[in-house]
Amino acid sequence: MADAGLLNVVLFLPLAGIAAIVALPARQDEPVRRLSLAVMLVQFAITAWLYTRFDAAVEGLQFETRLPWIASWGVYYQIGLDGYNLLLVLLTAFLGPLVVASAFTAIQKDVKLFYAMVFALQFAMLGTFLAQDLFLFYLFWEAMLIPLFLIIGIWGGARRIYATLKFVLYTAFGSILMLAAVIYLVYSLNATTGVTSFAFADLYRSQLPLPVQTVLLAAFALSFAIKVPIVPLHTWLPDAHVEAPTAGSVMLAGVLLKMGTYGFMKLAFPLFPDATRLLAPVFGTLAVVSIIYGACLALVQTDIKKIIAYSSISHLGYVMLGLISLDLLGIQGAMIQMVSHGLIAGGLFLMIGMIYERCHTRELAAYGGLAKLLPVYSVFFAVLTLAAIGLPTTSGFTGEFLVLLGAFRAAWPQYVHGAPYPLIVSASAVAGVVLGALYMLWFAQRFLFGAAKAPHLPLVDLNLREKAILASIVVAVFALGLFPDEPMRKTELAARQYQQLVGSERTGARMASRPVATPLAPLDALPAANAATRVESAR
Amino acid sequence: MSWQAIFTAMLPEHFLLAGIVVLICLEIAPSRLRGAFAVSLLAVTAATAAAVWLSFIGYASAPFPGQYSMDPIAALGKAIVLALAVLVLLIAHDEFEQRAFPVLLLSSLYGVCLLLSADSFLTLFLGLELMSLPVYALVLLAFRRPESAEAALKYLVLGGTATATLLMGVSLLYGSSGSLALSVFADALSSTNTTAGVAVVLVVVGYFLKAAIVPFHTWAPDAYEAAAVPVTAYMATIIKAGVLLAAVRLFGNAPLSRPMADLLAILPLLSIVWGNLAAMRQQSFRRMIAYSSIAHAGYLFYALLGEGPGRFQAVAFYVLAYGLMNLLAFAALPQDPDDMARDRMDNLKGLFHRDPFAALMIGIAMLSLAGIPPFPGFIAKFLIFKNVIAAGFTLYAVLGLVGSYLGIYFYLRVIQYLFMSAEEPTAVQGASGRLALGASFICLLGAILLAVFPGWVIGQL
Repeated sequence: MADAGLLNVVLFLPLAGIAAIVALPARQDEPVRRLSLAVMLVQFAITAWLYTRFDAAVEGLQFETRLPWIASWGVYYQIGLDGYNLLLVLLTAFLGPLVVASAFTAIQKDVKLFYAMVFALQFAMLGTFLAQDLFLFYLFWEAMLIPLFLIIGIWGGARRIYATLKFVLYTAFGSILMLAAVIYLVYSLNATTGVTSFAFADLYRSQLPLPVQTVLLAAFALSFAIKVPIVPLHTWLPDAHVEAPTAGSVMLAGVLLKMGTYGFMKLAFPLFPDATRLLAPVFGTLAVVSIIYGACLALVQTDIKKIIAYSSISHLGYVMLGLISLDLLGIQGAMIQMVSHGLIAGGLFLMIGMIYERCHTRELAAYGGLAKLLPVYSVFFAVLTLAAIGLPTTSGFTGEFLVLLGAFRAAWPQYVHGAPYPLIVSASAVAGVVLGALYMLWFAQRFLFGAAKAPHLPLVDLNLREKAILASIVVAVFALGLFPDEPMRKTELAARQYQQLVGSERTGARMASRPVATPLAPLDALPAANAATRVESAR
Repeated sequence: MSWQAIFTAMLPEHFLLAGIVVLICLEIAPSRLRGAFAVSLLAVTAATAAAVWLSFIGYASAPFPGQYSMDPIAALGKAIVLALAVLVLLIAHDEFEQRAFPVLLLSSLYGVCLLLSADSFLTLFLGLELMSLPVYALVLLAFRRPESAEAALKYLVLGGTATATLLMGVSLLYGSSGSLALSVFADALSSTNTTAGVAVVLVVVGYFLKAAIVPFHTWAPDAYEAAAVPVTAYMATIIKAGVLLAAVRLFGNAPLSRPMADLLAILPLLSIVWGNLAAMRQQSFRRMIAYSSIAHAGYLFYALLGEGPGRFQAVAFYVLAYGLMNLLAFAALPQDPDDMARDRMDNLKGLFHRDPFAALMIGIAMLSLAGIPPFPGFIAKFLIFKNVIAAGFTLYAVLGLVGSYLGIYFYLRVIQYLFMSAEEPTAVQGASGRLALGASFICLLGAILLAVFPGWVIGQL
C-alpha cells in the first residue's frame, strides 16, 4: 500500500516540481536549475527503490492505484507497475536528472518555462507508461505533445518552427484516428459484453471480428508507427531531432520513441491478436525495412545529429522485429533493446550537445581528430559508439542478439518453422547489424581520428558535471550488458503474457461460423515452440 | 396558472427584467446616475443563482401551460448561459460608456432564458427574436470602424432570413398537424410525410443560420470582427450556447430518421472542415475566433446525432468548456484603445515576454479549443464523439475527428506567436484590467474543475 502511494508520488512529483519553480523568485535562474535537478534525483531514487521492491514472481500489476474518475463512462484513474512498463519507467526516471543537468549551461533563455516544460513532459511520459486505463493512456499520450512542441519551438535551432509543427501535426494525425478506434473499441466491448470499461485488462477480453480487428489495428498502428517511427512514417524525426535542443533530443530518442513500441506491445498487438498474427509478416518486413533504410540513411549524413537520428530509426526496427517475432526471447530482447537504445542514443545526443555547445556546428566535416583535442570526451564517445554497434558486454549486444535469435524462430503461424520468408526477414536484419557497425565506426573514425581540427580552438575538455552525466550512462550501459538477467527476470512474466495474448484467438462468436482465410496454428503450438527456443539458446 | 408558479419558475427572468427596469430608470434619471455596471452584474448574478437553485431543488412547473415551462434541465441550461454572461460582463466593463449596452445585453439574455423554457413555437420565436434583435444593435453600438455598419446590416439581413425560414417551417408544421406545440417537431422528425419533412428541414436551417453553420455562416466573420470584444465574446459563447441548448430542447429524445441524420451530420461536418481551414489564413484574432466558432458549432450539432438523453449532457458540457475557454482568451487579450490594432494577430507575437500570465491563459484557451488533452475541450469533444459512435454513425465520427485535426494547426499558430516569435515593435503594451483578470481567473478555475473532475461535472448534468 505504501509502495502504491510512492508510485503516485513518482508520477506527480514533476507537477510539484513545476509548482515549486513557479514559486521561486523571478529573474534567478540558478535556484531553478538546482531545484529541478533535486526533484528529478528524488524521483529517480524513489523509482529505483520501487524497482528493487518489484516482485518478479507476481503476474500482473503491482503497486496499483485504482480510483473512479469519470464513473459514468467507466473511466478509472488506474496506474501500476508491471513487467511491460517497469524498465521504461525506470529509464524515464533515470534520464530525467541527466536531461536537467545537461541543460544547465545550454539553456539561458526563459529558464523557468524550460524546466516547467521538462517537468510537464516527464509527467506525461511517466503517465503514458503507468496508465492502465485506455482513456488515461490517451490523455497522457496526447498531452505529451504540448511540452515537446514548446521545447523544440522555443529553444530549438534555426528551423525550429517548421520542425516542431511537423512533429506535432504528424503525431496528432495518428492520434486522431486512434481516438476514433479507442471509442469504437470501448463501444463494441460494451455492445458484446455489457461492460463499459477502458481498463486494459477488460479490453484484452474483447471479441471482435477479424475485419474490424484489422481496421482498428491499422488505426492504432498508424499512431504508434509514427511515434516509433517505422519507415515510411519517419520523416518528422530527423527534422525534430536536428532542431530540438539537446534536452529535447534526449527525451525524444530516450523515451518518446519507446512510447510507440510500448504502445504496440501493450495495446495494438494484444488488443487485436488475430489481425496481428495475420499481418505479422507485414510488420516484420516493415521492421527490417526500417533497420536497413535507417542504417543506409545514417551512412550518408553529414550532420552528426542526423546520423544518430537515423540510427534511432534503425535501432527501433529491432525492437519492432523482436515484438512481432512472437518468440519469448525476441520479446525479451525487444524490451532490453528499448532500454538500451534509450541509454545509448540518449548518451550520444548528450555528447553531441556538449560538442555543439563548444563549437556551434553540427557539420561532421568541421571536426576531426577529437581524440587528441578532447581525450576524455573521446573515450566516452568511443564507448557509446561501440555500445551502439552492439559489442558484447554492452547493453546493445544483449538487446540485438536476443531480438535476432527470436526473429529466426519467428512464430508466425502462416509459416511453418524453417520456411523461407521469416528466414529472409531475419537474415536481412542481420545485414542491418553489419551496416550499423559500418556507419557508426565510419562516423567515429572521421569524428575522433585523423587530422585534429575543430571550428573553435582551443577546446575545453569535459567538466565534472558532464563527466558525471556520461559516467552514469556508461555504467548503466555496461550494467545492462553484463547483468541482463535481473531485468529479464522481472519482465519475463509480462513477455509471456504478451505472447499468450497475441497468440489467443478472439474473433468472437459471430465470426466462428465463417472460415478464417488464413489457417492459424493451434494455440498450444506456441509455448512448445518457445520451450524449444529456450533450450537451444541455452546451448 | 398560479401566481406563485409564475413567480418561482420565472425567477431568473424576473431578476433580469428588474435589472433592465432599473437600468432604464438610471438612464432617464435627471442627473445621470452611475452604477449601471453594478446593477447589471447584480441582476445577472442573481439570475444565475436563481437558476442554479431551481435546478438544484429539481423544480418543475408550467406557469403558462403549453407555452412556458420550467424543469431542471431548462434551469441547468439557463444556469450555464447566465454564468457565462456574468463573465462577459466582467470583461465588458469598458463598454459601459455606451449607455445602451447593459440594457441591450440583459434583454438579449432574457430572450435566451425564454428560449430555453419554450414549449411552443410561439414562445420559441419570441425568445429567439428577443435574443437576436439586441445583438444586431450591439454589433453596431461601439461603431469603432466603418465596417461595423456593413457587418451589422449583414447580420440583420441574414438573421431575418433565418427567422423567415424558421417561420415558414413552423407554418408548415402547423398546417400538417394543427398545433404549435414544440412536441410536434419531434413527431415530424420520424414522419414520412413530405410536408412534415420540408418543415423539419426549414426549421433546422433556421437554426443553422443562427448558429453559423456552413453554408449559412457568412455573417459570422464580419459580425465578430466588427463588434467590440465583449460583444464578440457574447456572440461566440452565449448566443451559440442558447441556440444549441434550444435545439436540444427542440429535438428532445426523438430518434432521427436516416435522411434527417444525414442532414444533421453533413452540414456540420462541412462547417468543421471549412471553419478550420478558413481560420488558418486569418490575420485578425476575432475573425479567427469566428471561423473557429463555426467549426465548434459543427461539433455541437454533431451532439444531436447521439441518442436521446445524452444530447443535453454532451451539449451542456461542450458549451461550458467551449464558452469558458473562449472567454478566457478574450479576457486575457491585451487591451488597447485602438480596436483595429488590438485585433491584429501580430499583436500576440512575443506576448509571453511582455505578459507571461496573459500568454499562458491564451495558450491554454487555444489548446483546449483545439481539443488537446488534458484540457477540458478534449473531454467535451470526446463526449460528443463517443455518443455519435454509440449511435452507430462511425463514419461521420471519423470524418468529424479528421476535420477537427485540421483545426490543430491554426490554434498552434497562436501558441507559436505567443511563445516562439520575436516581439513586434508596434505591439500593444496595455495589460488587462483588474476585472478582466478576475474573469480569467474564474475561467481558469472552471477549466481546472472540468479537467480534473469531469466525472463529477458530467454527473451534475
